[in-house]
Amino acid sequence: MSLAQHQLKLVVNQSPEVLERVLRVVRHRGYKIDQLNWQHEDGELILTVSSQRALHLLTNQLAKLVDVKDVTELNMMQTSKSA
Amino acid sequence: MRGADLLVSYLKQEGITTVFGYPGGAIMPVYDALYDGGLKHVLCRHEQGAAFSALGYARASGKVGVCIATSGPGATNLITGLADAYMDSVPIVAITGQVTSAVIGTDAFQEMDVLGLSLACTKHSFMVTDKDELANVLQQAFTVAKSGRPGPVLVDIPKDIQLAEVEAALTISTKDPITQYDDERLEAAKQLLANAKQPILYVGGGVGMANAVDELQGFVDATGIPSVTTLKGIGAIPNSKPYALGMLGMHGTKAANLCVHECDLLVVIGARFDDRVTGRLESFASNARVLHIDIDPAEINKLRQSDVSLCGDLKDILPALTTTLSIHEWQQYCRDLKVQYNWNYDAPYRSIYAPKLLNQLSEKLPSNAVVSCDVGQHQMWVAQHMNFTRPENHLSSSGLGTMGFGLPAAIGARHARGRQDPVVVVSGDGSFMMNVQELGTIKREQLNVKIVLIDNQRLGMVRQWQQLFFEERYSETILTDNPDFVTLASAFNIQARTITMQADVAPALDEMINSNGAFLLHVRINEADNVWPLVPPGASNADMMEKV
Ligand SMILES: Cc1ncc(C[n+]2csc(CCOP(=O)(O)OP(=O)(O)O)c2C)c(N)n1
Ligand SMILES: [Mg+2]
Repeated sequence: MSLAQHQLKLVVNQSPEVLERVLRVVRHRGYKIDQLNWQHEDGELILTVSSQRALHLLTNQLAKLVDVKDVTELNMMQTSKSA
Repeated sequence: MRGADLLVSYLKQEGITTVFGYPGGAIMPVYDALYDGGLKHVLCRHEQGAAFSALGYARASGKVGVCIATSGPGATNLITGLADAYMDSVPIVAITGQVTSAVIGTDAFQEMDVLGLSLACTKHSFMVTDKDELANVLQQAFTVAKSGRPGPVLVDIPKDIQLAEVEAALTISTKDPITQYDDERLEAAKQLLANAKQPILYVGGGVGMANAVDELQGFVDATGIPSVTTLKGIGAIPNSKPYALGMLGMHGTKAANLCVHECDLLVVIGARFDDRVTGRLESFASNARVLHIDIDPAEINKLRQSDVSLCGDLKDILPALTTTLSIHEWQQYCRDLKVQYNWNYDAPYRSIYAPKLLNQLSEKLPSNAVVSCDVGQHQMWVAQHMNFTRPENHLSSSGLGTMGFGLPAAIGARHARGRQDPVVVVSGDGSFMMNVQELGTIKREQLNVKIVLIDNQRLGMVRQWQQLFFEERYSETILTDNPDFVTLASAFNIQARTITMQADVAPALDEMINSNGAFLLHVRINEADNVWPLVPPGASNADMMEKV
């Protein structure tokens, strides 16, 4: 099965632990973080993640976090690497 | 006022009358405020007991349960209870003391990163960093705990904030629960129902949590769709309804599992396809279309793709879906299986057969009784052989399966419910010892809690698996060195007696039920008794084992 890579933009509350919250969910739900970009002032987090699992399984869990205001998928690329 | 006083007055404002906790250094200002603050505080004998009592209180009452602990070890002792509440979507608010703000991050005495620990086992958590935010945070904590899919929330309060003069300014904004359905979706759902020839309702704990039992029963009465329930859904549809097939899954009824296997439409109501429910997922209701109804969007299409989903409040959705169907043949088929595989207690037992005892107990208790159980074989026997007419009357650690749940949860239920509602614990000899210190809470508060201790001198459920799947290698599951439970009870001024023969059961149950105050009935059973039927690990629910 091929790994799908996705780029997500999250808008979050600027609580001190918000990154931990998001990253914990990403790891626990079975996604690898390839890249991340965090702008504290804007509460904006851009994540590139990859997994064999479908993306909605992650975005639904992220959207549920009280500190996450918005989740959008920026683009999707299929990599040829297999797991 | 001090932050600690604000906390107590806020709890009262929330309608909280009873809290469960244990004091310590970093929470001392709160205990000072509790001293004459007008709230009932129950001193549990371990913070895990306090968390489970808050959980039992919440589950038995539908209100938010509150527990309080000190920093460090007090807070870490709450974690299992929070995890249990998280898995079973129970609204509790845990208040923990934290070391003074200035020393956070210096490895101060009894400092632990409780916010960090809370991330995986709460719905949300807060550390109060600004004294004037305290009121705001408390209000958010209760709102989050209760709203949408309920869950546990932790509020960590540094000691200096408990002591500081605070303002009670409230400005509140929390996320609204997401509603994802419209008339078109409702129409599509109705169409699925209308086209189904063999529909089944798969009813989970969400119905009780949404306080939608009446709406569900209205829906069931109107549509006549046969139903099965999860462990946490028990009570949402009484077994006395003609097409209620009982619990499904690993230790479910054969009728429930077979009808789900054969259905052509699975209507999932506040349930989440737990692996103990589905068995091998690929063969679970594999010919069925799926209509999934839940408050939590993350449950939709998580493990099973749905054909139509309705995300929102069951209280609104169920009435909007109500129609009449003509499915007489299927109803009759399900009903026949229910009768065919009904439990049978007729064998002439000499020693005590726990399923029969629990069934007798169920018949002797009024329908408003609360039964709280522990984890293991006895838990499954409660689920199978006792009848419940409301989910809030059956307290069972379902998603986490935590031994030690039963006794403290019953203590919580005892405080949640009026004197006229009996509270009974059904525990096992293994589980009972996990929070046995809570007998001290029963003694201190003079609580009328009845305890039925099913003693097989084994960690029975694990022993059963060792027998069936590990070549009878009984590794560390033999408890022939149990304490003398009657003596143990008497150390806490609790009346107790032991029974060993089936003929003793009825009089002993009567004695227990009619006793004043707490009573422990120690029931010796045969260690070889197993829970049947059983879906072996990795098998389809249609392939149930019924004996060794
Ligand atoms: C805290 C915790 N530890 C371990 C287990 C694993 N476990 C599940 S059932 C069980 C045995 C329970 O024994 P007992 O309470 O005597 O109940 P029985 O099965 O004998 O009725 C064990 C060890 C668990 N569920 N919870
Ligand atoms: Mg046992």
